[in-house]
Amino acid sequence: MSNVLRPYLAAVRSTLTAALTLQDFSSQIVERHNKPEVEVGGSKEVLLQPMTISRNENERVLIEASVNSIRLSIKIKQADEIERILCHKFTRFMMQRAESFIVLRRKPVKGYDISFLITNNHTDTMLKHKIVDFIIQFMEEVDKEISEMKLSLNARARVVAESYLQAFNS
Amino acid sequence: MDVNFRKIDIDQYDEDVLLDSELYEADPRDPAQVLDDTKQKATAVRSSLSKGDIVGALTLVLADAPYGPNVEEAKNLNLQTLVTILNSTKATEIPGVVRGLSQDTQDTLMKYLYKGMGLPGWGDVSGSVLLGWHEKLTEVAGTGCIVRAMTDRRLV
Repeated sequence: MSNVLRPYLAAVRSTLTAALTLQDFSSQIVERHNKPEVEVGGSKEVLLQPMTISRNENERVLIEASVNSIRLSIKIKQADEIERILCHKFTRFMMQRAESFIVLRRKPVKGYDISFLITNNHTDTMLKHKIVDFIIQFMEEVDKEISEMKLSLNARARVVAESYLQAFNS
Repeated sequence: MDVNFRKIDIDQYDEDVLLDSELYEADPRDPAQVLDDTKQKATAVRSSLSKGDIVGALTLVLADAPYGPNVEEAKNLNLQTLVTILNSTKATEIPGVVRGLSQDTQDTLMKYLYKGMGLPGWGDVSGSVLLGWHEKLTEVAGTGCIVRAMTDRRLV
Protein backbone atom coordinates (compact mmCIF):
# COMPACT_ATOMS: atom_id res chain seq x y z
CA MET A 1 0.00 0.00 0.00
CA SER A 2 1.42 3.36 -0.90
CA ASN A 3 2.18 5.71 1.93
CA VAL A 4 -0.03 8.58 0.77
CA LEU A 5 -3.10 6.36 0.54
CA ARG A 6 -2.64 4.77 3.98
CA PRO A 7 -4.25 7.40 6.29
CA TYR A 8 -7.24 7.62 3.95
CA LEU A 9 -7.82 3.86 3.94
CA ALA A 10 -7.19 3.66 7.68
CA ALA A 11 -9.91 6.27 8.25
CA VAL A 12 -12.32 4.36 6.01
CA ARG A 13 -11.48 1.12 7.79
CA SER A 14 -12.10 2.47 11.29
CA THR A 15 -15.30 4.28 10.30
CA LEU A 16 -16.63 1.20 8.52
CA THR A 17 -15.81 -1.00 11.52
CA ALA A 18 -17.63 1.44 13.77
CA ALA A 19 -20.65 1.58 11.47
CA LEU A 20 -20.93 -2.19 11.01
CA THR A 21 -22.83 -2.81 14.22
CA LEU A 22 -26.06 -4.04 12.72
CA GLN A 23 -29.02 -5.93 14.10
CA ASP A 24 -32.26 -7.33 12.77
CA PHE A 25 -34.90 -4.62 12.68
CA SER A 26 -38.39 -4.88 11.20
CA SER A 27 -40.05 -1.95 9.52
CA GLN A 28 -41.93 0.32 11.90
CA ILE A 29 -44.20 1.57 9.14
CA VAL A 30 -45.32 -1.55 7.30
CA GLU A 31 -46.14 -4.62 9.33
CA ARG A 32 -44.26 -7.87 8.50
CA HIS A 33 -41.81 -6.00 6.33
CA ASN A 34 -38.11 -6.00 6.97
CA LYS A 35 -36.10 -3.74 4.72
CA PRO A 36 -32.82 -1.83 4.87
CA GLU A 37 -33.69 1.33 6.75
CA VAL A 38 -30.96 3.34 5.08
CA GLU A 39 -32.64 2.76 1.71
CA VAL A 40 -36.21 3.32 2.85
CA GLY A 41 -35.46 6.30 5.06
CA GLY A 42 -38.94 6.08 6.54
CA SER A 43 -38.14 6.50 10.21
CA LYS A 44 -35.43 9.00 11.01
CA GLU A 45 -34.76 7.81 14.56
CA VAL A 46 -33.00 4.70 13.24
CA LEU A 47 -30.75 6.55 10.79
CA LEU A 48 -27.33 7.71 11.95
CA GLN A 49 -25.36 10.72 10.79
CA PRO A 50 -23.86 10.17 7.33
CA MET A 51 -20.07 10.39 7.47
CA THR A 52 -17.81 11.58 4.66
CA ILE A 53 -14.14 10.71 4.47
CA SER A 54 -12.26 12.55 1.79
CA ARG A 55 -8.69 12.76 0.62
CA ASN A 56 -9.36 15.58 -1.79
CA GLU A 57 -12.35 16.80 -3.71
CA ASN A 58 -12.23 13.96 -6.26
CA GLU A 59 -11.67 11.06 -3.89
CA ARG A 60 -14.14 10.52 -1.12
CA VAL A 61 -16.22 7.89 0.63
CA LEU A 62 -19.70 8.39 2.06
CA ILE A 63 -20.82 6.05 4.82
CA GLU A 64 -24.49 6.17 5.73
CA ALA A 65 -25.33 3.97 8.67
CA SER A 66 -28.64 2.85 10.12
CA VAL A 67 -29.84 0.28 12.60
CA ASN A 68 -29.91 -2.67 10.19
CA SER A 69 -27.93 -1.62 7.14
CA ILE A 70 -25.15 0.62 5.97
CA ARG A 71 -24.51 2.12 2.58
CA LEU A 72 -20.98 2.91 1.51
CA SER A 73 -20.41 4.96 -1.63
CA ILE A 74 -17.05 5.55 -3.25
CA LYS A 75 -16.02 8.33 -5.58
CA ILE A 76 -13.08 7.04 -7.57
CA LYS A 77 -10.30 9.35 -8.68
CA GLN A 78 -10.78 10.48 -12.28
CA ALA A 79 -8.09 12.81 -13.53
CA ASP A 80 -8.99 13.04 -17.21
CA GLU A 81 -11.50 11.98 -19.83
CA ILE A 82 -9.95 8.54 -20.42
CA GLU A 83 -10.03 7.71 -16.73
CA ARG A 84 -13.63 8.85 -16.55
CA ILE A 85 -14.63 6.52 -19.39
CA LEU A 86 -12.63 3.59 -18.00
CA CYS A 87 -14.07 4.09 -14.53
CA HIS A 88 -17.60 4.22 -15.90
CA LYS A 89 -17.12 1.01 -17.91
CA PHE A 90 -15.43 -0.75 -15.03
CA THR A 91 -18.05 0.09 -12.41
CA ARG A 92 -20.84 -0.69 -14.88
CA PHE A 93 -19.34 -4.10 -15.56
CA MET A 94 -19.27 -4.87 -11.85
CA MET A 95 -22.68 -3.51 -11.06
CA GLN A 96 -24.29 -5.59 -13.78
CA ARG A 97 -22.94 -8.60 -11.92
CA ALA A 98 -23.92 -7.28 -8.51
CA GLU A 99 -25.27 -10.64 -7.31
CA SER A 100 -21.82 -12.22 -7.48
CA PHE A 101 -20.44 -9.55 -5.18
CA ILE A 102 -23.32 -9.93 -2.69
CA VAL A 103 -22.80 -6.56 -0.97
CA LEU A 104 -22.64 -4.50 -4.16
CA ARG A 105 -25.51 -2.14 -4.95
CA ARG A 106 -26.90 -2.13 -8.49
CA LYS A 107 -26.84 1.63 -8.78
CA PRO A 108 -24.47 4.15 -7.25
CA VAL A 109 -25.71 6.90 -4.97
CA LYS A 110 -25.92 10.25 -6.75
CA GLY A 111 -22.55 11.98 -6.93
CA TYR A 112 -20.56 8.76 -6.41
CA ASP A 113 -19.25 6.04 -8.72
CA ILE A 114 -20.02 2.83 -6.92
CA SER A 115 -22.05 1.90 -3.84
CA PHE A 116 -22.17 -1.04 -1.45
CA LEU A 117 -25.16 -1.98 0.66
CA ILE A 118 -24.39 -4.15 3.69
CA THR A 119 -27.35 -5.42 5.69
CA ASN A 120 -27.61 -7.35 8.93
CA ASN A 121 -28.05 -10.55 6.90
CA HIS A 122 -24.60 -10.08 5.45
CA THR A 123 -22.99 -9.49 8.84
CA ASP A 124 -24.81 -12.58 10.17
CA THR A 125 -23.55 -14.89 7.45
CA MET A 126 -20.12 -13.37 6.86
CA LEU A 127 -17.30 -12.27 9.14
CA LYS A 128 -17.37 -8.57 9.82
CA HIS A 129 -13.65 -7.97 9.52
CA LYS A 130 -13.60 -9.86 6.23
CA ILE A 131 -16.28 -7.57 4.81
CA VAL A 132 -14.21 -4.56 5.87
CA ASP A 133 -11.11 -6.14 4.32
CA PHE A 134 -12.99 -6.73 1.08
CA ILE A 135 -14.06 -3.09 0.80
CA ILE A 136 -10.58 -1.80 1.62
CA GLN A 137 -8.99 -4.19 -0.85
CA PHE A 138 -11.46 -3.10 -3.49
CA MET A 139 -10.54 0.54 -2.92
CA GLU A 140 -6.85 -0.29 -3.18
CA GLU A 141 -7.26 -2.33 -6.36
CA VAL A 142 -9.60 -0.08 -8.26
CA ASP A 143 -7.13 2.80 -8.57
CA LYS A 144 -4.40 0.42 -9.65
CA GLU A 145 -6.70 -1.32 -12.13
CA ILE A 146 -7.80 1.91 -13.78
CA SER A 147 -4.30 3.30 -14.16
CA GLU A 148 -3.13 -0.03 -15.62
CA MET A 149 -5.99 -0.01 -18.11
CA LYS A 150 -5.14 3.55 -19.04
CA LEU A 151 -1.52 2.61 -19.73
CA SER A 152 -2.42 -0.36 -21.91
CA LEU A 153 -5.02 1.70 -23.73
CA ASN A 154 -2.45 4.38 -24.53
CA ALA A 155 0.10 1.78 -25.67
CA ARG A 156 -2.46 0.16 -27.93
CA ALA A 157 -3.52 3.49 -29.39
CA ARG A 158 0.09 4.29 -30.17
CA VAL A 159 0.62 1.00 -32.02
CA VAL A 160 -2.60 1.46 -33.99
CA ALA A 161 -1.71 5.01 -34.96
CA GLU A 162 1.79 4.01 -36.02
CA SER A 163 0.67 1.17 -38.26
CA TYR A 164 -2.10 3.29 -39.73
CA LEU A 165 0.19 6.19 -40.56
CA GLN A 166 2.74 3.88 -42.16
CA ALA A 167 0.46 3.63 -45.17
CA PHE A 168 1.13 7.31 -45.93
CA ASN A 169 4.84 7.02 -45.34
CA SER A 170 5.78 4.81 -48.27
CA MET B 1 -57.51 9.49 -13.20
CA ASP B 2 -55.14 11.55 -11.14
CA VAL B 3 -53.11 9.23 -8.90
CA ASN B 4 -50.82 11.84 -7.38
CA PHE B 5 -52.69 11.67 -4.10
CA ARG B 6 -51.10 8.26 -3.57
CA LYS B 7 -47.70 9.90 -3.33
CA ILE B 8 -48.66 12.17 -0.45
CA ASP B 9 -46.87 11.16 2.73
CA ILE B 10 -49.83 10.98 5.06
CA ASP B 11 -47.65 10.01 8.02
CA GLN B 12 -46.35 13.54 8.32
CA TYR B 13 -49.82 14.71 9.33
CA ASP B 14 -50.01 12.15 12.11
CA GLU B 15 -50.29 13.78 15.52
CA ASP B 16 -47.61 11.67 17.20
CA VAL B 17 -45.12 12.07 14.32
CA LEU B 18 -41.49 12.32 15.39
CA LEU B 19 -39.95 15.72 14.75
CA ASP B 20 -36.27 16.55 14.29
CA SER B 21 -36.34 18.72 17.38
CA GLU B 22 -37.46 15.81 19.54
CA LEU B 23 -34.38 13.76 18.78
CA TYR B 24 -32.03 15.86 20.90
CA GLU B 25 -32.16 18.52 23.56
CA ALA B 26 -32.02 21.98 22.05
CA ASP B 27 -29.33 24.45 23.02
CA PRO B 28 -30.75 26.66 25.81
CA ARG B 29 -28.80 29.72 24.61
CA ASP B 30 -30.31 31.87 21.88
CA PRO B 31 -28.48 32.15 18.51
CA ALA B 32 -27.10 35.66 19.05
CA GLN B 33 -25.57 34.67 22.36
CA VAL B 34 -24.06 31.53 20.85
CA LEU B 35 -22.37 33.66 18.20
CA ASP B 36 -21.07 36.04 20.89
CA ASP B 37 -19.68 33.16 22.93
CA THR B 38 -18.00 31.66 19.87
CA LYS B 39 -16.33 34.99 19.01
CA GLN B 40 -15.03 35.33 22.55
CA LYS B 41 -13.71 31.78 22.42
CA ALA B 42 -11.93 32.51 19.12
CA THR B 43 -9.95 35.35 20.76
CA ALA B 44 -9.20 33.25 23.85
CA VAL B 45 -7.99 30.41 21.61
CA ARG B 46 -5.67 32.76 19.74
CA SER B 47 -4.04 33.89 22.96
CA SER B 48 -3.51 30.35 24.26
CA LEU B 49 -2.18 29.29 20.83
CA SER B 50 0.44 32.05 21.01
CA LYS B 51 1.49 30.61 24.37
CA GLY B 52 1.80 27.19 22.72
CA ASP B 53 -0.93 25.60 24.86
CA ILE B 54 -2.60 23.39 22.24
CA VAL B 55 -4.51 21.15 24.66
CA GLY B 56 -5.95 24.21 26.38
CA ALA B 57 -6.92 25.80 23.06
CA LEU B 58 -8.62 22.60 21.86
CA THR B 59 -10.51 22.14 25.14
CA LEU B 60 -11.66 25.74 24.92
CA VAL B 61 -12.89 25.57 21.33
CA LEU B 62 -14.60 22.19 21.75
CA ALA B 63 -16.43 23.03 24.98
CA ASP B 64 -20.03 24.16 24.37
CA ALA B 65 -19.64 23.82 20.61
CA PRO B 66 -22.61 25.38 18.80
CA TYR B 67 -25.12 22.85 17.52
CA GLY B 68 -28.66 22.66 16.20
CA PRO B 69 -30.42 24.89 13.69
CA ASN B 70 -30.17 28.70 13.30
CA VAL B 71 -26.53 28.98 14.38
CA GLU B 72 -24.78 28.42 11.03
CA GLU B 73 -22.54 31.47 11.45
CA ALA B 74 -21.30 30.38 14.87
CA LYS B 75 -20.71 26.84 13.57
CA ASN B 76 -18.57 28.09 10.69
CA LEU B 77 -16.60 30.40 12.96
CA ASN B 78 -15.94 27.61 15.43
CA LEU B 79 -14.82 25.29 12.63
CA GLN B 80 -12.41 27.93 11.33
CA THR B 81 -10.96 28.44 14.81
CA LEU B 82 -10.53 24.69 15.19
CA VAL B 83 -8.87 24.36 11.79
CA THR B 84 -6.28 27.01 12.68
CA ILE B 85 -5.39 24.97 15.77
CA LEU B 86 -5.21 21.73 13.78
CA ASN B 87 -3.04 23.28 11.07
CA SER B 88 -0.60 24.83 13.54
CA THR B 89 0.04 21.57 15.41
CA LYS B 90 3.07 19.51 14.44
CA ALA B 91 2.36 15.92 13.40
CA THR B 92 4.62 14.53 16.13
CA GLU B 93 2.73 16.40 18.87
CA ILE B 94 -0.74 15.10 17.90
CA PRO B 95 -0.77 11.84 19.97
CA GLY B 96 0.19 13.68 23.16
CA VAL B 97 -2.39 16.40 22.58
CA VAL B 98 -5.18 13.91 21.87
CA ARG B 99 -4.31 11.95 25.00
CA GLY B 100 -4.63 15.11 27.07
CA LEU B 101 -8.26 15.67 26.08
CA SER B 102 -11.30 14.44 28.03
CA GLN B 103 -13.64 11.90 26.44
CA ASP B 104 -16.38 14.43 25.62
CA THR B 105 -13.84 16.70 24.00
CA GLN B 106 -12.48 13.80 21.94
CA ASP B 107 -15.99 13.02 20.69
CA THR B 108 -16.60 16.62 19.68
CA LEU B 109 -13.24 16.74 17.95
CA MET B 110 -14.20 13.62 15.99
CA LYS B 111 -17.45 15.27 14.92
CA TYR B 112 -15.54 18.30 13.68
CA LEU B 113 -13.06 16.14 11.78
CA TYR B 114 -15.89 14.45 9.88
CA LYS B 115 -17.59 17.78 9.29
CA GLY B 116 -14.37 19.20 7.89
CA MET B 117 -13.96 16.26 5.53
CA GLY B 118 -17.59 16.46 4.43
CA LEU B 119 -17.42 20.11 3.41
CA PRO B 120 -17.83 20.51 -0.34
CA GLY B 121 -15.75 23.66 -0.79
CA TRP B 122 -12.81 22.84 1.50
CA GLY B 123 -11.30 26.31 1.71
CA ASP B 124 -8.28 26.22 4.03
CA VAL B 125 -9.07 22.72 5.30
CA SER B 126 -6.48 20.22 4.13
CA GLY B 127 -7.48 16.59 3.74
CA SER B 128 -4.18 15.12 4.85
CA VAL B 129 -4.17 17.16 8.07
CA LEU B 130 -7.67 15.99 8.99
CA LEU B 131 -6.84 12.38 8.08
CA GLY B 132 -3.71 12.52 10.23
CA TRP B 133 -5.68 13.79 13.20
CA HIS B 134 -8.40 11.21 12.58
CA GLU B 135 -5.87 8.39 12.62
CA LYS B 136 -4.23 9.52 15.88
CA LEU B 137 -7.57 10.17 17.55
CA THR B 138 -8.86 6.71 16.59
CA GLU B 139 -5.68 5.13 17.99
CA VAL B 140 -6.24 6.84 21.33
CA ALA B 141 -10.02 6.88 21.68
CA GLY B 142 -10.92 3.73 19.73
CA THR B 143 -13.90 3.02 17.47
CA GLY B 144 -16.25 3.94 20.33
CA CYS B 145 -15.40 7.56 19.70
CA ILE B 146 -16.50 7.23 16.05
CA VAL B 147 -19.72 5.50 17.09
CA ARG B 148 -20.51 8.30 19.53
CA ALA B 149 -19.84 10.92 16.87
CA MET B 150 -22.06 9.02 14.44
CA THR B 151 -25.01 8.52 16.80
CA ASP B 152 -25.02 12.00 18.33
CA ARG B 153 -27.79 14.09 16.80
CA ARG B 154 -26.35 17.36 18.04
CA LEU B 155 -24.73 18.29 14.74
CA VAL B 156 -21.83 20.65 15.14
